[in-house]
Amino acid sequence: MPKSRAIQPKKIFKGLFIAFVLIWSLGPIYWSINSSLMQPVDLLAQPPHAVPPAPTLAHYTGLLGLENAADNATGQSIWPQFRSATINSIVTAVAATLATIVLAALGGYAFARLHFPGRNIVFGLVVATLAVPGYTVIIPLYREMIALKLVDTYLGLTLIYVSAFLPLALWMMRSFFSGLPVVLEEAAAIDGAGRMRILFRIVLPLALPGLIAAGIITFLSVWQQFGIPLVFSPTAATKPLTVMIPELASRHDINYGLLNAAGILAIIPPFIVVFFLNRFLVQGLTAGTGK
Amino acid sequence: MTMSMTKPDRISAARRIAALRLPGRDARLGLLLIAPIVLVMGALVLLPLVLTAWDSLYRIDPMRAGTPFIGAANYINLASDPEVRAAAANTMWIVLLAVILETVGGVAFALLLQSMGPVRKWLLAAIILPWAMPSVVNSLIWSWMFNPSYGVLNAILHGLGLIPAGYVWSNDRTAALLIITIVHVWKMLPLTAVIMLAALQTIPMHLYEAAKIDGAGPIRTFFSITLPMTMGALAIAMTQSTVSAFNLFDEAWILGGASLDTRTLLIQVYMSAFQNLHMSYGMALSILVLIASLAVSLIYVARRRGETQGE
Repeated sequence: MPKSRAIQPKKIFKGLFIAFVLIWSLGPIYWSINSSLMQPVDLLAQPPHAVPPAPTLAHYTGLLGLENAADNATGQSIWPQFRSATINSIVTAVAATLATIVLAALGGYAFARLHFPGRNIVFGLVVATLAVPGYTVIIPLYREMIALKLVDTYLGLTLIYVSAFLPLALWMMRSFFSGLPVVLEEAAAIDGAGRMRILFRIVLPLALPGLIAAGIITFLSVWQQFGIPLVFSPTAATKPLTVMIPELASRHDINYGLLNAAGILAIIPPFIVVFFLNRFLVQGLTAGTGK
Repeated sequence: MTMSMTKPDRISAARRIAALRLPGRDARLGLLLIAPIVLVMGALVLLPLVLTAWDSLYRIDPMRAGTPFIGAANYINLASDPEVRAAAANTMWIVLLAVILETVGGVAFALLLQSMGPVRKWLLAAIILPWAMPSVVNSLIWSWMFNPSYGVLNAILHGLGLIPAGYVWSNDRTAALLIITIVHVWKMLPLTAVIMLAALQTIPMHLYEAAKIDGAGPIRTFFSITLPMTMGALAIAMTQSTVSAFNLFDEAWILGGASLDTRTLLIQVYMSAFQNLHMSYGMALSILVLIASLAVSLIYVARRRGETQGE
């Protein structure tokens, strides 16, 4: 009988721990998918079904307007609402991410390489706002936005998101630029390249991983915003998914299948980022934490 | 290419490098590049911040005429407001529980990831996923699982004899706060795990080998090598756990709404300003929340600044 085949208790413990981690992390998501594929009547079963006994895509086709599925409470199709909320989420997240990345790349380079009066004070002030919770300034910001007529507009929301997430992106980009060897830039200067040419032709391509990391952190942060649009997006004109989906639950007759399906559709972008841009995401999350 | 430079070439090259450091040109370009940042941050963060502090000394209430200067009255009233006290107590409980769970769980998850082979990448992706999801969606998923009549977790816990049938979590303050904290921890624990994993990877292997030779067991190794070597990252992870739990809004709003049992300080700010329209009263409270939050982050900022000083 071959020895060393015996299962060690240490391995069993580790296996159990891995199982726990997977159930803890993915279990709720599985359950939401499971519920989103069930007929309304199956959702009320006791005990609950671990897999849909009669799977249906009705909730998804209803949300996406492929079928005339109606909101239980109002009897109207849910598609127009869901479509505008999805568009609003995508527009604000993309616009805020692009604006943040452009400002962070240009500013990060200036803070890392150029010498100008007040450089350290300005950078310190901007980064210090990382410690200011967004809600602290929300009341005067609201009055400011009303005065500028920017409440419930894409521009207003985008500006607020940029001001909220620029400090971290700027911090990350400055760290990336500072880490690049100056020699390359000097060599380009010898060849007669100006500052902006050096920035766009040499520095930015090298800092691309940092730029992507800052971009996806910003995108995910905007995508999940709830408090800001709750105040600044009162109507369907700019209301994002995060505000629209809970409204489905505040009706007296909640359709949990529909609610879960909407939630699952809303997590598709984060899901893509986590599984396909994982490397950049981890880099972004650990940036500046003293790794 | 620099090899074949003639003498005048070399001189002009030196001039060009010098031009890279010309203070005047750099200054103008630098100011130009940061101008939009100064504008956005000044108008949308710093100005509102100053206004918040300033206006909190006045009575600004759209329902009442005039905006008289009332000094510290808002702050004095806050101290004796039972709603504020309840919200502060709720926030404290959430912070305490969340920081403990996120730190212990995050370190355990990081140690597990560190010990994994090639599948680490996939396990890490699974662990991060909840962090990347909107907290609103997380809250709705968990509240469905804890649904009194049809929730899967209620069914399991009832099956184990831990709760009665049809148990309504929101009816009990402790239970309701516990659920909100769990949903928050589910989202934030991955960040602690990622920060700690990055720190674990910087520990040189030879330290562990030396410990093994000296006959140290896993627990001894953890406390005399792993923990001291990752202290800085642990402090950062705990600070961000504290600040994010302190500023909890989404989960408590979705799961408990305006209920005083689960109302957090930020929900209290939102209620005073946007539901009851006591604008400056809400501002005074948000200034207090800011000060408390800043006090906690001070360690964090001080550390980060210390790291960048060397550049």
